[in-house]
Amino acid sequence: MLKILIRRELLNNLMTFRFAAVMLITLLLVVANTAVLIQDYEQRVESYNDAVKIHYEGLRKAKTYSTMYLFVDRAPNPLSIFNVGLDKRLGNLIGIWHGFVPTLWDTEMHGTDNPFIAFFSSIDIVFIFEVVLSLMGLIFAYDAIAGERERGTLRLVLAQPVRRGQILLAKYISAMLCLLVPLLLSLLFTLLLLIRSIPLSPADFFRIGSIVFASFAYLSLFYLIGMLISVATRRTGTALMLAMFVWGFLILVYPNLIRATINPGGNIQERVNTVNNQIQRIVDEYERDRKKFLKNEGIAEGSRFHEVLGLYTQASVDSANMMSYIENLTDISETPPDFERYISLAKRYFDFVEPLTIRTTERVWFIRKQALDDIFVRQARMDRILLRLSPVGMYDAATQTLAGTDLLGLRDFFEATRRYRKIVIDYFYAKRAFGSREWFAADKGAVDWSTFPEFVFERSDASVNAARALPDLFLLIICNLVLFMGILLIFTRSEI
Amino acid sequence: MIWHITKREIYDNLNSLRFALTAVLLLALMLINAIVYLRGHPDRTQTYHDATAEAVKKLEERSTSLYRLATEGPGHLYKAHSSLRFCAEGDEVFLPTRVSGENYFSDIANVRPLWRLSHPQETPNIYNIRPDFTTMDWAFIVSYVLSFVAILFTFDSVSGELERGTLRLILANPIPRHTVLVGKFLGAFISINIPFVIAVLMNLLLISTSDSVQLNAELWGRLGILYGITILYTCIFIALGLLVSAAVRESGVSLVVLLLIWVSFVVFMPNTLASIGSRTSVPMAYMEFWSEGNRLDRETRKAYEDKYGDSQSTPPVHVIAEYLTIDAEESEYFAEKYLNQQITQGKRARAITRISPAAIVQHLFESFAGTGLERHLQFIENAKRYAREYRDFVIDTDRADPMSLHAIGVPKGMSQKRVSPEAIPKFKDTLSLSRDFNAAAMDLFLLVLFLVVLLAGAFLAFVRIEV
Repeated sequence: MLKILIRRELLNNLMTFRFAAVMLITLLLVVANTAVLIQDYEQRVESYNDAVKIHYEGLRKAKTYSTMYLFVDRAPNPLSIFNVGLDKRLGNLIGIWHGFVPTLWDTEMHGTDNPFIAFFSSIDIVFIFEVVLSLMGLIFAYDAIAGERERGTLRLVLAQPVRRGQILLAKYISAMLCLLVPLLLSLLFTLLLLIRSIPLSPADFFRIGSIVFASFAYLSLFYLIGMLISVATRRTGTALMLAMFVWGFLILVYPNLIRATINPGGNIQERVNTVNNQIQRIVDEYERDRKKFLKNEGIAEGSRFHEVLGLYTQASVDSANMMSYIENLTDISETPPDFERYISLAKRYFDFVEPLTIRTTERVWFIRKQALDDIFVRQARMDRILLRLSPVGMYDAATQTLAGTDLLGLRDFFEATRRYRKIVIDYFYAKRAFGSREWFAADKGAVDWSTFPEFVFERSDASVNAARALPDLFLLIICNLVLFMGILLIFTRSEI
Repeated sequence: MIWHITKREIYDNLNSLRFALTAVLLLALMLINAIVYLRGHPDRTQTYHDATAEAVKKLEERSTSLYRLATEGPGHLYKAHSSLRFCAEGDEVFLPTRVSGENYFSDIANVRPLWRLSHPQETPNIYNIRPDFTTMDWAFIVSYVLSFVAILFTFDSVSGELERGTLRLILANPIPRHTVLVGKFLGAFISINIPFVIAVLMNLLLISTSDSVQLNAELWGRLGILYGITILYTCIFIALGLLVSAAVRESGVSLVVLLLIWVSFVVFMPNTLASIGSRTSVPMAYMEFWSEGNRLDRETRKAYEDKYGDSQSTPPVHVIAEYLTIDAEESEYFAEKYLNQQITQGKRARAITRISPAAIVQHLFESFAGTGLERHLQFIENAKRYAREYRDFVIDTDRADPMSLHAIGVPKGMSQKRVSPEAIPKFKDTLSLSRDFNAAAMDLFLLVLFLVVLLAGAFLAFVRIEV
């Protein structure tokens, strides 16, 4: 019986104008935007490659350890074509230095970052689906029950020995089969375009597969919302208007509204100030220890020693992003005649000060990490949670996590930069770089960079992404089930 | 007769569910818009006032000597912000709020370079980890919500009557068809405008009664223009709705067609086209700009050193002054070149989006609300003019002193007299309505063109309809 019902519904749906129109527009939008997105991605990869090359050469030009410029670039994520998330927006260039623990708040951009085009949001495939699939679901669903009720065919069907649940199920299955056609077909085109220009790993295909699954759950959710409206109203006209306004509210209004009205930040400035004070105390301690060392060695501030080494220390806190600056600038271009006299002292000085710097920055990092989490991350998380009240929020969060362009995915990168900093420091210790002449002067041979550790970053495993996206996917599925149960309940109790 | 049909349409609409939903939605959006704006406005004003006061104070501190004024510059120049930000916040969030006239340079061989205008590069977005969103400004409410509502009000206005058979009844009366069409058009227009006007009035009531905002006559005029643009834009979508409704005989099909047109033109086109347009003119990468700028600085310096031998013997003051002026001029010129590349990209991106009426409305709202790109360009122009004025002031004051050697940028080569703080020109950022009109003329023309074409289409489709 179910089979007959499904066949009838399928024929009803497939032969309609709306099916053809929806199919056409989805394909058109997805293919056109994929072409644009791929070009954009390639441009980003190009500027990434340029940046990596420049930074590689820049490091090898340095003659002393203390004047090295070590930068790490973040490669664009190929899955940003599906959901761009934070991939394009956040900085992708960061310095690595023992006196500084890198976070995403200290980044710069290696490509063009033009404020005059920042207003235009980049349309990724998930965004197209967010808008088009939801509309499709509602258009197919609004008259599913109400229409039959108006035409009187529902009565006819129910006169047969069919259970009401079966009718609903048949309608749901057939509509989903229809709607899957444009979804899968457009994704197929996207993949064909993608494979031609971007190399994808098997893990990426798994991720894309999961994104398709999330899209399906999202589509089904909107179909069920439409069906709920259709079951609850008596007339198609009313059902249509309700469906459209619900769509407008959930897609257009709510996601923007919630961000504009809710401001969970509280008094950020006060928090920043206390943290800055805490950090300033640590930095002051550093300065005290450093001065004590100099005093023990019998060197006065601003003496010939400082002048010869071109030494000046700036130990301060950046009030904007709570960064501590502890710098020892030692750029010696030409050695004065009395240089040799200060060599052993300088070696001892740097051997003492640089490890002290490392310890200080790590203490600062401990405080800073908590503050950054409190001030920025908590706010972003709050936004995300509130967004989840609309299916768009769930779908967006799930696909972003799967693509690895969400906050967690990006934080993986900064974790890696912090690990790399540790590796570099270990390398310095192993080479005894701090106490060496090459730390500050290159007159007796420059630094050998050939054994310097390279930075490698692998995006997290697909299973990790899947595990992170699981709560959102689960939420989507639960919503689907709850809606279906609700529809079933209303439908079985309603009078025809 | 027209009025008769219009009245009937309005009564029909007033009783409908869509009217109630529209009224609630628009009212809620407009109230939220006002509340969000009023919450942020005092802070913004305060920050601007504090920043400008700080800048003026610094400038007055520098007035102790002409040398300090010449080297350290006028300080940061801040963009005055528009009180109509609630109409179109636009890209205001992403654009820099100032141009810098500070001197960040340290001495090179006992010579301190002169100040120059520089444009901040950092976009605050680079640290922003909160999810993307569009501000609920008037531009959004009009270009997205109102056009959506217009479609929902018109999709069945012809096809619905055709299906129910009432169109036959109307046309059986001795009424010309175009009268029916005009009546329907007016009916839909008025029924949409009733909730919109109420919502706008509530919004303005909230904003104008607040202490922190003063709306003067000019601003009210601008609001009037914005309302006029809204009318034009709504008419476009009503005409489109009538056209499709008359051309397609079923309401269901008509709605699907309209929704797909709406989605492509309003939601997707502005962004996709901008992304294509921005690719036609890509500015150099910031890293390239930075290293090229450094290279230019070094070259100027080298030319100067080559000409006047080693740096051990001090060259005459005029030579130093000449070098400093050239250095500042060239570096400023280069920074401007980079900025112009960025602006060109922004303009290209916007130019191509004009295919979509929604994007045109966004531009128009930005121009008349005094926000967005056009406004920013005005601000940059003001800042440049001021920079010239400031430099001229320094040179003229120096020239007026017969004791001075007239070597700008050299401590001993300049006038040693005190400068009175009042005499120094202060930066004042202004907006002009006539300029906004000029910038918007093309957009207005395009909107009218859209309307005329669609109205003609609707007329033809309706006249040829078979009942």
